Amino acid sequence: MKAVGARLPRYDGVGHVTGRTRFVDDVRVGKTLWVKALRSPHHHAAITRLDVSKAAAMPGVHAIVTHEDIPRNVYGHLEALGVPGDEPLLAAEDVRYLGQPIAAVAAESEAAAQAAVEAIEVSYEEKPALFDIRKALDPDAPQIHHWGNVYPHYGSYNHRRVRKGNIDWAFEKADVIVEGVYRPQAIEQLPLETQVCTVVPEPDGRLTVYSCTQAMYFSMGVVAAHLQWPLNRLKFVGGTVGGGFGGKVDTATDTICCLLALKARRPVKWRWTREEEMLCSSTRAPWHIELADAVTSDGWILGRRTLTIHDAGAYARFSPYGLTKHAFHHSGAYTIPNLRFDGFVAFTNRVPTTAMRGFGVTSVSFAVETHLNRVAEAIGMDPWELRLKNANRVGDTTGNGVTLKDPSTVPVTLAAAERVGIELPAEYRAMTSDPRGGDLLPEHLAAQQNLSELNGGGH
Amino acid sequence: MAKHRGRGFATIEYPTGMNQNGDPSQAWIKLKPDGRVDVFSGTVDIGQGSKTVHTQIVADTLGVPYDWVTMDNTNTDSSAVCTGTFASRGTFIGGNAVRLAAERVRERILDIASKELEIDPSDLEIADGEVLAKGSPQKKIGVADVAGAATYNYGELISGSSTALKPFADVDDATGQVEIEPHSAISYAACVADVEVDDETGEVTVLKMVQVYDVGRAINPLLVEGQIEGGAIMGLGLGLLENSYPYYPSVDHRGGEFGAYLGPAFADLPELDNVIIENPSADGPFGAKAIGEMANNAQPPAIANAIHDAVGVWVTEMPATPDRVLAALKAKAEPRRDGKRVIFDEQLSVRTVSSNGGEGYWGVEP
Repeated sequence: MKAVGARLPRYDGVGHVTGRTRFVDDVRVGKTLWVKALRSPHHHAAITRLDVSKAAAMPGVHAIVTHEDIPRNVYGHLEALGVPGDEPLLAAEDVRYLGQPIAAVAAESEAAAQAAVEAIEVSYEEKPALFDIRKALDPDAPQIHHWGNVYPHYGSYNHRRVRKGNIDWAFEKADVIVEGVYRPQAIEQLPLETQVCTVVPEPDGRLTVYSCTQAMYFSMGVVAAHLQWPLNRLKFVGGTVGGGFGGKVDTATDTICCLLALKARRPVKWRWTREEEMLCSSTRAPWHIELADAVTSDGWILGRRTLTIHDAGAYARFSPYGLTKHAFHHSGAYTIPNLRFDGFVAFTNRVPTTAMRGFGVTSVSFAVETHLNRVAEAIGMDPWELRLKNANRVGDTTGNGVTLKDPSTVPVTLAAAERVGIELPAEYRAMTSDPRGGDLLPEHLAAQQNLSELNGGGH
Repeated sequence: MAKHRGRGFATIEYPTGMNQNGDPSQAWIKLKPDGRVDVFSGTVDIGQGSKTVHTQIVADTLGVPYDWVTMDNTNTDSSAVCTGTFASRGTFIGGNAVRLAAERVRERILDIASKELEIDPSDLEIADGEVLAKGSPQKKIGVADVAGAATYNYGELISGSSTALKPFADVDDATGQVEIEPHSAISYAACVADVEVDDETGEVTVLKMVQVYDVGRAINPLLVEGQIEGGAIMGLGLGLLENSYPYYPSVDHRGGEFGAYLGPAFADLPELDNVIIENPSADGPFGAKAIGEMANNAQPPAIANAIHDAVGVWVTEMPATPDRVLAALKAKAEPRRDGKRVIFDEQLSVRTVSSNGGEGYWGVEP
């Protein structure tokens, strides 16, 4: 055992910081055409006319693609997980966010491509837009998505549910109920490398895709689905990314470059401007979380009711997945025996949101951890002690029924307290992750643990 | 008008791998005739250092020096499936894929060495690039010679492949309950933030963050610290600075350039104190758990709690910008009490903002 545990430097680190690593934008291929996109100038509108004939006849223009050129225009990134597709690669009838791509041009230079984009004849009929997810189900809310304003495919439900224990008992039994609202924001992915792709049509009919994707096989599957091709006609080249925090799981440029390369029979390159990266690429999702905790005056969290609304933006992308993950972790690092969670993915006319570091959980960690300090204040308890008392322990069950094998709420919390010199009472300092017993196994938790054991418990 | 110090903390947990599983990573490994090791894995390195970590795992699984191992993650023709670099799956799931593939290669090396040394493979071990007889280390053959013999004498390519995959976990849509664990190991962390709040300007400065992470086993402590510190800065940006929609839910005044968007910079860097705890996972490579994504989750609530400790107000809309802090200081809002209910933030609630009290959200079946 020599390498594992060693403080070895990243072997690609020197290349990165001296500019010698070859990123996608460094790939140079002869006769490459440049790509620019026509994007929606409206938040929500019907496309009433789209004519690319004048643009296509402009000097230096080799190919233009619209929705009509795409073998399968609508493909859901999560279809394999049962989430149906809703987002067109290029808008056909409606545009649902400012910056949504409608057509793309490949031309001899970026300037020629941009001139052709501006020559595309397009007319719109504006429609009312929706931005506040709290109003998405209001009777007077504009209807902005063909599925309705919330994602409707959690089985037969339009929301992700968690039901555990007896929530009514918990709220009746509680000495104090603490309610609060938490609103984590959208942020930019902010990579130094903007979305970028080069596609080369090879003499054997294959396409080589130089991609900045975080997931080569995933993106290859997405491209193959849109093209209706087998995987062996595509070769993705990548593996090195100039900043990907989730946003480069979206296959933002690869498919359109493939379509243009096939139509133009030339290599093409699409490199988003900083402005496109910031205004048209996906952000972290904004969330709206309402928590109500039922607690006893001596600091047991008996139950939690949660309403979460996730702002998906205009299309689903990975949002239904992110909300499920959020639901599975909404009790945080603690054992709460009675839960009722209802979570909705709401659509708005903003750029679709997507995966970003901590997807689904960053939001709920903020809500839960801020809320617990309010709970502690409401019952006059030390916030360290409140957390340690309710901490996950070996053998506890999570909100979705998983029995914990190796939780570390107690050791990380105690280590942090010790590091900053917090003096906790001896009974708290002596805590471990060992299974509950004695004072730490009150009747309401013991009853549930027995039930878990009866049901076979430990998965 | 004064500056006030405050301290807040948060404890968090985070799962490894795609939620509900079903996300394979595959790898294959071959030996060159001189025993050097080529690893083919589709794991994209997004800057976290997965190529280095995977190389470390392969080197120790095989028992060869680290610099014998080359990692190729450059294309889909030579690499097998990797679902992707997301869901904190690189070290654990990608790492298990290369570890399992390396174990198969190790078996093949021992088989060929067994023929050369005329010793049963179960009595052999590999260390520092040499195959040694257990207990009689003078009987040995270099892995380079084993690979040479395989190539030129036995006509064999020493190779191995494997997949790390946990089966898909179905969810009961009525109750959210699962039958099998819908993720791999769960990691835990705690963050203590010390802040200073200026009650005249509303500006919050993070002075210091103490962060404790249980990563199961730090395959590379240097890179773990990189994740902890990089994550801390992202978390600070979330907590105090960044916002794609400054007037959310309005879409007005979005920033379309770096200069119009407040991302964290070196000037915002607080003192950082990192603590790594190793509570090994039963099924991670060498006991490792994930750290990637969770590293920006604990700071925003730790900062919000620290602001409250400093000046007695809650800012629960992120980020805690100076205008929000000043507005909270001005309002000095107390929760409404209704029997045993303590109700914060009513003005933000769906009940208040929706035209029908949020009936579509609150009115679902129990």
